[in-house]
Amino acid sequence: MSRRRVFRRAGKWAAGVAVVIAVLFVLRALAPSGSVPEQILDAILDTGYAGSVLRVTVPIAFAAFGGIFAEKSGIINIGIEGFLILSALSSIVAVQRFLEMGMGTTTALWLAFFVGILVSIAAAAVFAVFTIRYESNQVIAGLAVWLISLGLAPFVSLILFQSVNSPSVETFGTWTIPVLSEIPAVGPIFFDASPMVYLMLVTAPLAWYVLKYTRLGRRIRAAGENPRALDTAGVSVSRVRYVGVLLSGVLCGIGGAGFTLGQLGVFVGNLDTSIGGRGFLGIVAYLFGNYNPLASLGGAALFASFDSLQFRLQQISALDVPSQLFGILPYVVVLVTLTLIGRTRIPAALGEHYDDEE
Amino acid sequence: MTDDGQTRIERLLGRFVGLSGGERVLVSVAAVGVAVVVGMLVILAAGYGASCGTPKFSLLGVSFCYDPVSVFTVLFQGAFGNVFNIALTLQQMTLLLFTGLSFAIAFRAGLFNIGAQGQFVLGSLATTVTILWVAPLVPDGTVGSLVLMPLGLVAGVVVGGLYGWLPGVLKARFDTNEVISTLLLNFIATAVAYVLVERFFNDPSIQGTITRAIPSAATFKPVVFPSNTNFALPLFLFALAVVVGVYLLLHRTTIGYDIRALGTQTKAAVFGGVDAESTTILSMTLAGAVAGIGGAIYVMMVIGRWQTGTPPIGFDGIAVSVLAGNNPLGLVPSSLLFGILESGSQAIQFNLGIPRQLVGVLRGLIILLVATPELFRIVGRTLNRRDVIDLSGGGTEP
Repeated sequence: MSRRRVFRRAGKWAAGVAVVIAVLFVLRALAPSGSVPEQILDAILDTGYAGSVLRVTVPIAFAAFGGIFAEKSGIINIGIEGFLILSALSSIVAVQRFLEMGMGTTTALWLAFFVGILVSIAAAAVFAVFTIRYESNQVIAGLAVWLISLGLAPFVSLILFQSVNSPSVETFGTWTIPVLSEIPAVGPIFFDASPMVYLMLVTAPLAWYVLKYTRLGRRIRAAGENPRALDTAGVSVSRVRYVGVLLSGVLCGIGGAGFTLGQLGVFVGNLDTSIGGRGFLGIVAYLFGNYNPLASLGGAALFASFDSLQFRLQQISALDVPSQLFGILPYVVVLVTLTLIGRTRIPAALGEHYDDEE
Repeated sequence: MTDDGQTRIERLLGRFVGLSGGERVLVSVAAVGVAVVVGMLVILAAGYGASCGTPKFSLLGVSFCYDPVSVFTVLFQGAFGNVFNIALTLQQMTLLLFTGLSFAIAFRAGLFNIGAQGQFVLGSLATTVTILWVAPLVPDGTVGSLVLMPLGLVAGVVVGGLYGWLPGVLKARFDTNEVISTLLLNFIATAVAYVLVERFFNDPSIQGTITRAIPSAATFKPVVFPSNTNFALPLFLFALAVVVGVYLLLHRTTIGYDIRALGTQTKAAVFGGVDAESTTILSMTLAGAVAGIGGAIYVMMVIGRWQTGTPPIGFDGIAVSVLAGNNPLGLVPSSLLFGILESGSQAIQFNLGIPRQLVGVLRGLIILLVATPELFRIVGRTLNRRDVIDLSGGGTEP
């Protein structure tokens, strides 16, 4: 895909979003005042809503970026959800310990953020050894990572906090960028946001660039498409795949720790934990985006927009719909999009083991 | 004498390596063994991190709150210590046989059914609602049982089957990845069941999202076991019969042949005349139906109503099936093991204060290790090589 086509496609997407917003504004103008449709549209056409969509996008998008690097290198990674859970818990444990040691809140938060990432990397390393060195069935090993995390995180929380839920801590808060945040409409959305949102907006193009234009990116793609060719060129396929899965660990770690420390401020260990399927939404986001980090960011934002819509719709008392039904809105949207996009072009050697010829 | 013994072991090992079935058994046993060892390490680490008044166990001068050895003795006593514990173990085993079968059937067709949990949840709700709806129309007693029990099972089978059919159709017609779709359908099933019960079937006299209890004519009474155990031996035998039935279906019928052919050699199967679309839909529907039976039995034998917080029996089924090498007959020992873990985990939480979530970790470890036969093969090869060197060193080789 040439650079010009990328820009043209990005332009089309931006135009599409603008049209949707314009239509919503027209509907808002036509809706009788005080009616339920007007209340719904008001809830959507609000900078607060757009801001919350961006926040909610963070864990889904980082999960998607993480999935892309693993899958592009040829390793199916269903364990993303597990990495998010582990980094979410470890970051909150770390921040508690650092605060007890008498650190300032900001220092403690940032150090704990890196602890969360490190734990995720460690888990990814174990997963990598099993899938690459010992040739596990990748789907089942990924499920195992999820199930282990689903047991381990509440277990550790119970041991340390006597409850499956952690105590709550302060979050990163927002970084207001002077001047730019004064721009009407766009300013408060994009320039008065959590540092994790900025990190996400920077990571998406960076990940795209790395995959597409750097030597590392070319090698990762080759390991997933044609490992034999890579091997023939004298590059160790295993080594490239290790890098892919470890990068996946880094990005999922940012997703889990960034979500916990940047937004939630607590780890919930009940049922499917506070991560609650965001890792799986991330997987669908990159399938939606056809393994392109920029398009996957769009997919993640789409799902996030429904996830954060449910909270706003719940506040409209005239809408007598149970909140749990709103809760499944993102999953239904995801399932429908997954069905419509159906056949994505997956890397040719995805899930296949490869023994380097030494 | 020792030489003779050594060669016999070698021959035995050689036969295991040659037979894929035997090898799978070895891998499964080894996986459980390694998971137990790792589990002990987790308990040690947890016992080091936890705070308690009097340490239970000390090693090399470091004291720990939990004793890893006693955990496993308590776990075993919790599973087999008395007739109530045995009933609980067998009850869990019965349910796990169904969700395990559900994963196994789909896996044989080359599909991952991660959705047994959702099929189980909706199946159990359908059973409850159907029984509550029909019960006022039929007389109590034996006649009522003869009508309500089969009806409850059928409702569970139909709804579970439909909930498996859906991702099957999505896979066959739209090429929707079934790993993701069945996973998402679990989240959707839980929420839909919650809303349906909260809105339409709630028992107003009890706090929480819970239906009225089904009449006693529709519940399976304990047979042989004490009356307060919630375990009916005939249902256990029924579960075993279903296992054998599915085994025969897969290995002795053309449908079963199609399913297995699709799972092992997709292209060759399609070339050989297997209809990939309908076989995919059929196997997913069958998988859902079997999980639905599990849900029906959960209602009619175990809790007698539907309430939120269905235990993760569907997810455990994945572990059960993977451990069994996805062979229906292998499900019997592996579901027994997970039944033991489940009933034993209640004992370790109650007696030792160790969170039962530990069992979730063990379950995941077992899955991970069973999915990695190469690990044990490499270990085995290393051991084997040492044997060969020993033999040539002794000069016994010709």
